[in-house]
Amino acid sequence: MAPSGSNPSQIRDSDPPAETAPDPKPLGAMDTAEKPAQSARQARPVARAVKRPAMGTAKPAARPEERVTNRVVLAMQGVTKSYPNGRVALRGVDLIIPEGDFVFLVGPSGAGKSTVIKLVIRDELATKGSVLLDGRDLGKLKRRDVPKIRRKIGIVFQDFKLLPSKSVRDNVAFALEVIGTPRREITPAVDRALRVVGLTGQADQLPSQLSGGEQQRTAIARALVHNPRLFIADEPTGNLDPLISWEIIQLLLRINEMGVTVLMATHNAEVVTAVRKRVVALEDGRIVRDQVAAAYEREG
Amino acid sequence: MIAFIAFSFRRAWQGFRRNGLMSVAATATMVLMLVLLSSLMILLTGLNATLKSVEDEVQVVAYMRDSAPQSEISDLQTSLRNMPQVTQVGYVSKDQAYNDFVTRHPDQVDVIKSLPNNPMPASLRINLRDPKDYVDVAAYLKNNPGVERVLNIKQTVDQMVTVINVLRVGGVVILLVVGLIVLFIIVNTIRLAVVSRADEIEIMRLVGASDAFIRWPFVFEGAIVGLLGALITIGLLFPITALVSPYFKVLPVEAGLAVGQNIALIVLGSGVGIGVVGSYLSVRSYLHR
Repeated sequence: MAPSGSNPSQIRDSDPPAETAPDPKPLGAMDTAEKPAQSARQARPVARAVKRPAMGTAKPAARPEERVTNRVVLAMQGVTKSYPNGRVALRGVDLIIPEGDFVFLVGPSGAGKSTVIKLVIRDELATKGSVLLDGRDLGKLKRRDVPKIRRKIGIVFQDFKLLPSKSVRDNVAFALEVIGTPRREITPAVDRALRVVGLTGQADQLPSQLSGGEQQRTAIARALVHNPRLFIADEPTGNLDPLISWEIIQLLLRINEMGVTVLMATHNAEVVTAVRKRVVALEDGRIVRDQVAAAYEREG
Repeated sequence: MIAFIAFSFRRAWQGFRRNGLMSVAATATMVLMLVLLSSLMILLTGLNATLKSVEDEVQVVAYMRDSAPQSEISDLQTSLRNMPQVTQVGYVSKDQAYNDFVTRHPDQVDVIKSLPNNPMPASLRINLRDPKDYVDVAAYLKNNPGVERVLNIKQTVDQMVTVINVLRVGGVVILLVVGLIVLFIIVNTIRLAVVSRADEIEIMRLVGASDAFIRWPFVFEGAIVGLLGALITIGLLFPITALVSPYFKVLPVEAGLAVGQNIALIVLGSGVGIGVVGSYLSVRSYLHR
């Protein structure tokens, strides 16, 4: 877990699924797009490693070194969301997630976790304030540009949402097919995603032949296959037993180490406390806590 | 673009095959509704042909004076032919009328033979474009000095026109109502087929598929359902019309093959059209959210 190699691409190389050679679109495209940020990204894990022992209550604004050195993947500023039925789900939420971060979004049911996710994937629009994903203001997005911004996101849910009639491989490939990826690029990308989640051997099975954990891995592979800027997991372990849940968390952490920013909404206190990552706690539509390397509940 | 169309067709075909039950249900509904619609259209075509032939039977009969000179009669014939309401003018001479009477009433030959001379008048028989013009043409004839009298069938013509209009309008109304019902039922079935795949659409939206990528496979799938339904319907209609057409032979009109071709085209057009429009509308409600 400790970021031993400071260059993310090195981490990828050492990883079995990396296989940098025939990699035309996804990772390559990301690298070129971020040439200027490359040095910053190299610096980042070191900065975090220094910070980690000082387990504190630092809010994003109080981490100037990260704000300066990292690209911001998600920025929510003064976001209020009220639904047509009058229910106010979020009240003045500020949340900044820099590239490479791993963030737990916790809080009781109805606190606004789902609303945050709906706003990020632009399923809903903020009533007040702004939501910026990868620098684009989602509130000002034209309708036809919504699909394009969604391609920057990979998302998994508690209920997996796999297509029962398609094999594991086809489920993963589906995410690329429907965004018009040329066929020759689909196969290598799918193979790579399946290797990351460790399902190469089950590629031709149907979801019904898989365990719950394997189904969630399939969903994760599908959410990763297009190399998203932000990986969102909405209660990914909600339907899984503790041991399998832990495997899924390990997988998400590994994906994070590969350089993917992760936002995970969860109730699973055990996991949150054990992993010691940044925790954003929502209560009644407000952020009541934003701590690095935190436990599920406030300590002390 | 070609890749996109190929993709849409591939997905449409996959969708049609993999959702077997829904595809069969939609196609079966399509067939039943198209058979209903086309049978009704065949019946109405027969009805209209019958009504037309009845209308064509309407003739204005003007009996000429025996004193009217031949030149006057042919002048009248020419001026009648120039009237826009008139399609045909026939002349029945005195001799012809006599012979007609003899052939028609062989039992009364003795009576007519006992008369000193031919009592039957010469007559003009005028076919009309539209029975409603009867009054105009009759009035024109009455003013002609050569015409003795015009056979008055005004009341009969009026009644016939009324009945024919009721039948025609009624036929069109029934066709429209049935057409609407068919449209709703088919669109609803297609909507069900789309709703049963809401998960698929949701996933497509989540992974960032553009509206076109979500919509067109479904539209093509609707076209497949429509095409298949129409072809099956046409396949069913040929034996049905073959069975029924002998009964239509009594009609003085050609209600056979030509009608069959028109119906086939209409079935094909409406099947594919409803399939496409139905899918388009059904998917649309999932996109605009």
